[in-house]
Amino acid sequence: MNVTRPNRRRIDDIIGWSTAAVVVLGLVFLLLPLLVTSVMAFDERSFLGPMPPPGFSLHWFVRFFSQTYFLVGLRTSLLVAIVACSISLAAGAAAALFLDRTQFWGRGVVLATFLSPLVVPPVVIGFSLLLFLAQIGVTWGLGRLVVGHVIITLPYAIRTALASLAGIDRRLEEAALNLGATEARVLWTVTLPLIRTGLISGAIFAFAVSLDDVAVSSFLTDPTTYTLPVALVSSMRATFDLTIAAASVLLIGVTVVLMFILDKAVGFDRLIGRGMFGR
Amino acid sequence: MRTTRIWLLLILPSSLILLGGFLLPMLGLGEESFRLFTPGRVGAVAGAPLTLNNYLELATSGFLDFVVETLRISLIATLIGLLIGFPMAWWIARRLPRAGRAIAIGFLIAMVLLSVLVRTYALELTFGSVGLLRGVLRALDIAPNGRGYIECLVAAGLLHSVLPVTALTLLGTVQNLDHRLTDAAQSLGAPAWRAHLSVTVPLCMPGLLAAFLISFTFSISAFVIPMVLGKGRVLFLSNLIYTRFSEIADYPSGAAISVVMLAIALFFVVVVSNIAARQGRKA
Repeated sequence: MNVTRPNRRRIDDIIGWSTAAVVVLGLVFLLLPLLVTSVMAFDERSFLGPMPPPGFSLHWFVRFFSQTYFLVGLRTSLLVAIVACSISLAAGAAAALFLDRTQFWGRGVVLATFLSPLVVPPVVIGFSLLLFLAQIGVTWGLGRLVVGHVIITLPYAIRTALASLAGIDRRLEEAALNLGATEARVLWTVTLPLIRTGLISGAIFAFAVSLDDVAVSSFLTDPTTYTLPVALVSSMRATFDLTIAAASVLLIGVTVVLMFILDKAVGFDRLIGRGMFGR
Repeated sequence: MRTTRIWLLLILPSSLILLGGFLLPMLGLGEESFRLFTPGRVGAVAGAPLTLNNYLELATSGFLDFVVETLRISLIATLIGLLIGFPMAWWIARRLPRAGRAIAIGFLIAMVLLSVLVRTYALELTFGSVGLLRGVLRALDIAPNGRGYIECLVAAGLLHSVLPVTALTLLGTVQNLDHRLTDAAQSLGAPAWRAHLSVTVPLCMPGLLAAFLISFTFSISAFVIPMVLGKGRVLFLSNLIYTRFSEIADYPSGAAISVVMLAIALFFVVVVSNIAARQGRKA
């Protein structure tokens, strides 16, 4: 290197500053649209005008809640999310327990198969389900949606449960067994409480995935049974007004609530870990 | 013997769900893609003759353009995501104090959980025809409904989804990096940028590849983002499948596109995982 020392220092400075600039730019890109939407949702004008709004009012929120089209979708979304996530969590935790405690030939293949819905494009999952359910004669809208949502949430449930099972201290279970507890009792009073945080974070991620899905649900709705995201997308394409901004603020609120639960139950630091060389 | 049966009972529910809700439907989809479609009907008739037409039609029509467009825009969004996400992860892991770190991680997780509808709507509102850039666009004579700008918007939509995931994935990698190695390079006389380029980046390669794979497979299967932000001018493969289903009810053709799309997604998963495995062996 022929670069002299002060010169080299300057290159380092430039690189350092441009790195900081890139980080700030990324943060602005992530936050700015959300900020604009949150402000515009309170716009008092009755039409979509340019930023900034001349005054503030809640009338877009009133409009959102006065449209039965959205309310029906919201009810279906919550129902489907709760039912599908409960099924996924129960089935997923059981499967994870099996995969954690048994050794057999082809275990890797079984695990990969269970996680494979994650790599299949959701549209393909929705479309294949539509064809299959029509073939076997399932036309019940709610049932079809629940099946679709179980498929997309099950891998998350299995993965988080497996990760937390791998982290527990097996000696605690052995101690309980030695003291005379039955296997079922150990499962309920030792194992499940130990993986509680993993199950909660799995539940939150599964719930968010279910509540957000459009690609799978679009194929499985019928005229009276549709989810809120499907309703929002179709109204977004028809008329681009600020009712959706109000809905977006509500959905941001849902995310904040989920984050709050996640932080209280698990803690952000523990989700990522501090790393081998962490401070 | 009895315990084995109980253990098997544990995996039974998930297996049944996966079989009936995923594996059988996928097989059915493959079969449908080889059925002859009669225009005007909804899907193929039961027992319709087998044909390769649905695939041949894709090879001849402008289908390839849609494949290229999907891959191109996805690749751009993924690479920009890595270029911003990597410094972001490094900065959070190495520069922020503990309290700030927890807040930053919480923020990124919130951005992962954020609804894709909120993202697309917010981006359209902020950068679309009535957005903040209205004046800038007019001054530069860029039509907000022109094709080039719409492509940028779709890429921005993908980037908004991919960036927090990339940063979080790389955060794990950067944290497990022994920063003493970079320090050693610097104390031996390498300038910081060189130390990072020749020590930090190669050591983070497995994480970079993982982040690339996650972002890219997410992007090529995106549905809402190109549908809303693309305004019908930019169509991804997902949107094409949905159009075959909702507008002309040509299920066999939609199934053929699905099979092709699945093959593309799996191709990238296999290729990138292989590269990652080779990297791992070298390290």
